[in-house]
Amino acid sequence: MRNKFILLALFAVFQAANLLAQERTVRGTVTSAEDGTPLLGVNVIIQGTNSGTVTDIDGNYSIDVGENASLIFSSIGFESQEVQVGNQTVINIQMLQDLESLDEVVVTSFGIEREKKALGYSVQEVSGEEITRTKQPNIVAALQGQAAGVQITNSGGAPGQSARIIIRGINSLDPGADNQPLFVIDGVPMDNSTTESGGTPRGLSNRAADLNPNDIESINVLKGAAATALYGVRAANGAVIITTKKGEEGDVRINFTSSVGFEDINQYPNIQETYGQGFAGVYDPTSFWPNWGPSIDEIREIDPDAEIRDIWREAMRTGVQFDNAFNISGGNEKANFYASLGHLTQEGIIPFSEWSRTSARLNGELKFNEKFRVGANISYVISGGNRVPHDRFMERLVYNTPMQDINDYINEDGTMKSIGGNTNPIYDARFSTFEDEVNRVTGNLKFTYEPFKWMDINYIAGTDYFTDSRTEITPGPLGIEGERPLSSTGYITETRIESRDLNSNLFFTFKNNWTDKLTTSLRIGNDVFQRDYERVDATGVDFVIPRFYHLNYASQISNDQYLRKRRLVGLYGDLSIDYNDMLFLNITARNDWTSTLPIGNNSFFYPSINLGYVFTESLESDLLSFGKLRASYAEVGKDTDPYRIGQTYNSVGVPLNGQLRFSRNDQFGDLNLLPESTVSIEFGTDLRFFDNKLGLDLTWYKTNSKDQIIPVPVSETSGFSTFITNAGEIENKGLEFIINAKPVTSEDFSWEISFNAAYNQNEVVSIREGIEQIQLGSQFGYVGSRVYSILTEGEPYGNLWGSSYARYGANDDDIYLNKDLPIIIGENGFPELNFDLKVLGNSTPKWIGGLRNSFDYKNFDLSFLIDFRAGIDQYSQYDNFFAAFGIAEYTLDRNETRVFDGVLADGTPNTQEVWLGQGEGPDGRDYGAGFYRNTYRRMSENFVHDASFIKLRNITLGYNFGDNILNAFPIETARISVAANNIILYTPWDGFDPESFSAGAGGNATGFTGLGYPGVQSFFFTLNVGL
Amino acid sequence: MKNFNRIFKFLMLGFCFIAAGCDDYLDINYNPNNPTDAPLAGLMSNVTYETSQNVFRIGSSTSYYVQYLASPNPASGTDVMDPLSFDGTWGSLYAVMTDLNDLILAADENNAPHYEGAAEVLMALNLAMTVDLFGDVPFSQSFNFETVTPSYDDDEALYSRIFDLLDSGISNLSIDSDASMGSDDFIYGGDTNQWIKFAYMLKARYLNHLSETGAYSPTEVLTALDSGFDSNGDDAQVEYFEEANNPWFQVARSNANLVLGGWISEQFVEATDGTTFGVMDPRISYMIGTTDEGEYVGTVNGAGRGSASEQGERSTLVEGDFYTNPTSPVLIATYAEQKFIEAEAAFGIDKARSYQAYLDGIRAHMTKLGVPDSEINAYLSNPEVAMGVDAFTMADIFKEKWIALFLHPEAWNDARRYDYAYEDFDLPENLNPDLNGQFIRRLRYPDSEVSRNGSNVPDVTLLDPIFWDE
Repeated sequence: MRNKFILLALFAVFQAANLLAQERTVRGTVTSAEDGTPLLGVNVIIQGTNSGTVTDIDGNYSIDVGENASLIFSSIGFESQEVQVGNQTVINIQMLQDLESLDEVVVTSFGIEREKKALGYSVQEVSGEEITRTKQPNIVAALQGQAAGVQITNSGGAPGQSARIIIRGINSLDPGADNQPLFVIDGVPMDNSTTESGGTPRGLSNRAADLNPNDIESINVLKGAAATALYGVRAANGAVIITTKKGEEGDVRINFTSSVGFEDINQYPNIQETYGQGFAGVYDPTSFWPNWGPSIDEIREIDPDAEIRDIWREAMRTGVQFDNAFNISGGNEKANFYASLGHLTQEGIIPFSEWSRTSARLNGELKFNEKFRVGANISYVISGGNRVPHDRFMERLVYNTPMQDINDYINEDGTMKSIGGNTNPIYDARFSTFEDEVNRVTGNLKFTYEPFKWMDINYIAGTDYFTDSRTEITPGPLGIEGERPLSSTGYITETRIESRDLNSNLFFTFKNNWTDKLTTSLRIGNDVFQRDYERVDATGVDFVIPRFYHLNYASQISNDQYLRKRRLVGLYGDLSIDYNDMLFLNITARNDWTSTLPIGNNSFFYPSINLGYVFTESLESDLLSFGKLRASYAEVGKDTDPYRIGQTYNSVGVPLNGQLRFSRNDQFGDLNLLPESTVSIEFGTDLRFFDNKLGLDLTWYKTNSKDQIIPVPVSETSGFSTFITNAGEIENKGLEFIINAKPVTSEDFSWEISFNAAYNQNEVVSIREGIEQIQLGSQFGYVGSRVYSILTEGEPYGNLWGSSYARYGANDDDIYLNKDLPIIIGENGFPELNFDLKVLGNSTPKWIGGLRNSFDYKNFDLSFLIDFRAGIDQYSQYDNFFAAFGIAEYTLDRNETRVFDGVLADGTPNTQEVWLGQGEGPDGRDYGAGFYRNTYRRMSENFVHDASFIKLRNITLGYNFGDNILNAFPIETARISVAANNIILYTPWDGFDPESFSAGAGGNATGFTGLGYPGVQSFFFTLNVGL
Repeated sequence: MKNFNRIFKFLMLGFCFIAAGCDDYLDINYNPNNPTDAPLAGLMSNVTYETSQNVFRIGSSTSYYVQYLASPNPASGTDVMDPLSFDGTWGSLYAVMTDLNDLILAADENNAPHYEGAAEVLMALNLAMTVDLFGDVPFSQSFNFETVTPSYDDDEALYSRIFDLLDSGISNLSIDSDASMGSDDFIYGGDTNQWIKFAYMLKARYLNHLSETGAYSPTEVLTALDSGFDSNGDDAQVEYFEEANNPWFQVARSNANLVLGGWISEQFVEATDGTTFGVMDPRISYMIGTTDEGEYVGTVNGAGRGSASEQGERSTLVEGDFYTNPTSPVLIATYAEQKFIEAEAAFGIDKARSYQAYLDGIRAHMTKLGVPDSEINAYLSNPEVAMGVDAFTMADIFKEKWIALFLHPEAWNDARRYDYAYEDFDLPENLNPDLNGQFIRRLRYPDSEVSRNGSNVPDVTLLDPIFWDE
């Protein structure tokens, strides 16, 4: 309760009392000095008072003033002017553009615009144009490389597949925690969760993919805790503030954009095309083994028509994307509107993968009078598609023989053509369907009431409601003799997800100009959040009639129901003090109450303070046109998911003989669970040189997250496999650089450069007594080569652990593998294996960044975006499988004899010659399954690789038609452009695009590529017409 | 309208600042999906079902070690005795022991000694299965969350714990009680007399495991047996369900649908088709399938199927045999097995009793499979089988017990006690090179345990024996 008093006390400071004798009326028009257009919304304030007005649509104002008054004209983006009224009754003003603050307005909490120079923390804005230019249907993917310290990773190349966003590193040790920022659209939080398929990965969407990028005006990325303190627990990882377009005063505008795109795999692994089907060098056209047979030359002696094909390319197709968007907008001084329709369809490179999105949006605002405004936004989206089992698809390509046409997959009777007992991946992709359809309505209402110049009241209520209907069907036997069915029973699973978010946010803002130098603004507010979630799954197994897939015609039915409800209540205050446009101080305080923590531990308070100092205000310099220093300290609390406390039982499977079985849940939640707390400190500077032609923004930050709520995987022998408790601390510190330059600005030609880079260093400071490590995840590797992502104290997040070759002289206590030590060679002449897990690499990039160059020459514009990541390793499951199945190019040496470089157990050099092949070697010795299967594939060490890259993420060339052409048509603007994405990839990684991970955007185990949907490159042609 | 009201209330709340009423608003964290207590019957049906599943799970791996089964693919991990990580089996064993722990505690609290006793018997069984696979394992610090890193108990000490559990189970099952089990008991349908016999049978089984140790007492084994099973009707088994088919049936069905598995080892085929012992065992047709030509052809462990096609050229488990019907039972402990234990224990004390028990064991198994009496009698009068007391050896007991324990985990315990000395029993091809030409003696501790409880996990190799095998 103490906290409430603090807020009330602050409120009391704002006793506004200003009564002045007013004698006469001054009127006038405010225009832009640059082009003479009238300026709307310019503040006209009587100096030293709170009284004032704003200009109307024609730039007109009128105001009653006293004697010896002076008026201050101010507007964001323009330099303020002060004018002595004297005897004048008409004062017309021309406003000069303020170069310092141009493009400097950013949207912070609750959709409130603030001048960037006033902020004591780092914020980065990406414009709607920069988003749409990437042609990424998913706005998260579109942010790639565009903001410093923001790491975006596509989980793969499937249509609609999720992309993950992490700001300034991972803050949570919980393997299941959402480390992604809060998404806020037009002041209301929205759901960006990813619900992956329960079975084999299907590459589902993150829910922000439901947004039509064409509707976006701008995206502001709030990085530090200071920026997000006002959003409370859900923004502990930062916030992405999306503002959609709105109508502007003037004529109705119509805009139409149409684009078509084509995509292909951007990088293939190196595979061998010499050895064919069979095992131990023996040719067998029906063998399970695709590549352990003899060489094609030897095979042709048996089967002259034999050939080895590139099934990896043959199995794929060219993906196609169509995107059509239409919008109409307009308004007058009373009201404005923006309406849009969009339709996107995408067919992926894996056959039968597709996704589409149809969206409609209506944004409007109505101004009843000077004091009262209402705005409303509503959007309706249908999205979804067919999600192919891409992981299984790629796995089956591994097993399938390269000696047959992979596209020859189906018999006339509809059964599968199978070789060596393998499932044909294309047949599987076609018939094992997984279709999802999301119907989503998001909307908000915003009321603004401004009873006094010094006070306004805002109320925003929003909802985000969607249903997600999923149907997964795997056919059973078709009842045809000799068929090879995809499943011995077949099954259908119907999933219905219903999720509803309600947000309510009420806040009061009090502004006061104490003197002409000191202004303050106080905001206090209350917000309430509630999410209701329900999921029902019904599964039917064993179809009674082949090809008739319906729950009512399945022999066995089982159901699953899951309910969840979460509530949050917050109370906050935010005080901003601005002294002479030079010193900016901002203090926030917030208390949250959550339903998910034990009563008694569920209320938590956290403050933040930040300070900005524009030192160039008191400094005249030709070199330095603007300079600011900023510092901030902030705390953020964090709760947990519902129902995690205590011990429960669950029912298992379907009732048997009418008996429902019960089993103890393998998860136990600490009864005294506390909120997590994150403390972050940030220092930065923003410098502009040579009339703002060169800008440099530097930020240093350190974030410590303590009392982490972690489901610690514990030994199953303890009676649970997971213990949810407060444990541990994780620290992120790093540097962010942003450099902007405008080397050339002339009428015909301009060039802009924007570069950002971020370095992050992460350390698991502590876990919990008695718990030495937390396993985030692991991925299969053949016999002993499984790779683990394990957190240990004192080490960075994302260490990848696995087996390795035994090293001579290695210290057993050293958790890192020392590759400089010689390998120990066993008595059999092959390297010895060490199954004690060692750190083989780290999956968190140390450096990420992007470089954008934009050129404008007359009607042409050209821009390209390069992004990079460095200091990152990943486990390539493909490589493990390619070694085990003799597919990798390096297995071409399989019939060679070698002396392995290394030492014997006694330290003497190895001299024994061994054969790498299978079966009996040239020396008469039986080598069994051979080096690659007996030794190589078993060592994780061989498959954890450097996954750094530099990518030409996007290059766009556009042409804007000039008036001479446009005048011939009833159109205002027209533009055509060509864009290419990911056409250049530079990486040491051998395999498909290393930007891939199997967990989907919701997961944290990023070091595992799985057999994921390969990354793609794409080309787009776009036409944009404005009426 | 209802929705509107709810939304309206919600909005009103938005206007209210935090007050006492908001505590109620937030007091909603009661899990609607999972209850905090479980009924005894619900636990009972789960532990009986899961125990049966564990017998299958272990058998589905060890059947390759004892060469009942062989993989159609060359150098398959279980065939060649690779150091595989049995995380799933380990997790399942501890999951059912956790539920048994809760059932014992809840039954004790609710004064339901029959539930308590049956749970103790099943606890003994699951613990013994775990020890027999892994040796030292956690138990005394397990289940009740004393620690997240339970220490490992000595395997020999755990065996005395097993006997204590069986004794305690017997005494609890002998108490009169109204809280009786019924159809929630998938093994005996609540028959406490049969539970008691089952407990004695298990006691005999585990006492007999000690045959290679100094603690071995054949007399104690025989004493326990006296109170054990009286006929096949006492067999501990779970008959499967329309809703959950027998897992071996599922293997057979998958194989028929070319998801290959359940291929019969050449070792088993030759032992039963007359190749090795010169007598055709009539049980073969009740247990495994033939090729399209109607012949029994096995697959060599570790070699794969070679040039044989996926279907029709090798013997496999096929749907509809004794072990592979949708509702076939999974056998947990049988009268036949008990007879072979008796044969082994009596061998040095009363060889005639031993011989008779051996013959009875064969007959019990054959009767169980449904072999007609005429064929049983013919087999039991063949001199290769009925060699007479004098010619009768321990090898005969182990051979016939091995056939009678088809697909059962207990076969691997026997194989290790017997040092895999079965007739014509060869190492698999492509044997795991780390085994230096020897047979596997234990399972590796699973990766999940090494990564979560690493400091307690003993350092062992696949060649280190369990205490009773030293």
